[in-house]
Amino acid sequence: MKYENLYFERPEDDIDILDFNNTGVSNESSVIYRDYKSSIEHYLLPISRQLENPVIRFLTLKAQWEVETAVLSSATEIAMHPAYQQIIGMGHVAIPLILSEMKRKQGHWFWALKSITGEDPVLLKQRGRIKEMTEAWIRWGKEQGYLV
Amino acid sequence: MSKQDSEKFFPILSNSGYSITSPATPEYNCIAWAASDTNTWWEPDPQNLYYWPPEVSRKYTLDSYIKAYEILGYTLCHDANYKSGFEKIAIYVNANGKPTHAARQLNSGTWTSKLGRLEDIEHATLDDISGFHYGSIAVILKKPKKDIF
Repeated sequence: MKYENLYFERPEDDIDILDFNNTGVSNESSVIYRDYKSSIEHYLLPISRQLENPVIRFLTLKAQWEVETAVLSSATEIAMHPAYQQIIGMGHVAIPLILSEMKRKQGHWFWALKSITGEDPVLLKQRGRIKEMTEAWIRWGKEQGYLV
Repeated sequence: MSKQDSEKFFPILSNSGYSITSPATPEYNCIAWAASDTNTWWEPDPQNLYYWPPEVSRKYTLDSYIKAYEILGYTLCHDANYKSGFEKIAIYVNANGKPTHAARQLNSGTWTSKLGRLEDIEHATLDDISGFHYGSIAVILKKPKKDIF
């Protein structure tokens, strides 16, 4: 089982059963199970490990980028922020995450999308019109199968 | 973002009195807002992603920004004092001379600024938002107000 599956599908019910009612469960199996739980937590808790998950990594970088570039008036400077560059560095994995974020809330993701995909579905007359640029990219995302 | 957040970025605001006059939006920036455009993000970016007047070179230089406003009828002027019948714009630059911000004067003599992707604010003086993020004022431009009668 991959670690992200362990993270998102932890057997909470099993834990409850063992913790609340250990009748019929040998001491040895309880110890093994406690160690198993503990090892998963030790494996998953470090932030470096969590950041290996693309969703968590994207959301962490996005939050940092949004706060630290909020008052900048230049989209180029906004895009030069290290967190934004790291999102670009995630490559194609980041495309559906960016497009989903754009569907939820408008933002300056155009530089990242153009850099990762090499495409630009925005028409010349739409340049600077954030709503229209966002719609163009979402349409592109659907055509390419990144969004449903 | 709240007033406290704006004051974190621009500490002078907390003592000078200002008001937030719009919701936060990424749809336009301060350069557009100074030109009274609330539908477009103005920027001479090299990737040609954003709007910039086609007659003006796409460069992050003070000259390029002045030319963009000159197309709208603004001319260079000597001071930021309020003068009846005129509208003024101030362009800020950082230590390298690169434009960072623009503010527009209101009829009251105060100034209006769009803070990045945050809100528009009305502030008393140009110095209220100068400093670490926007640097200092480089030039003032003016143009006659349109006769509303």
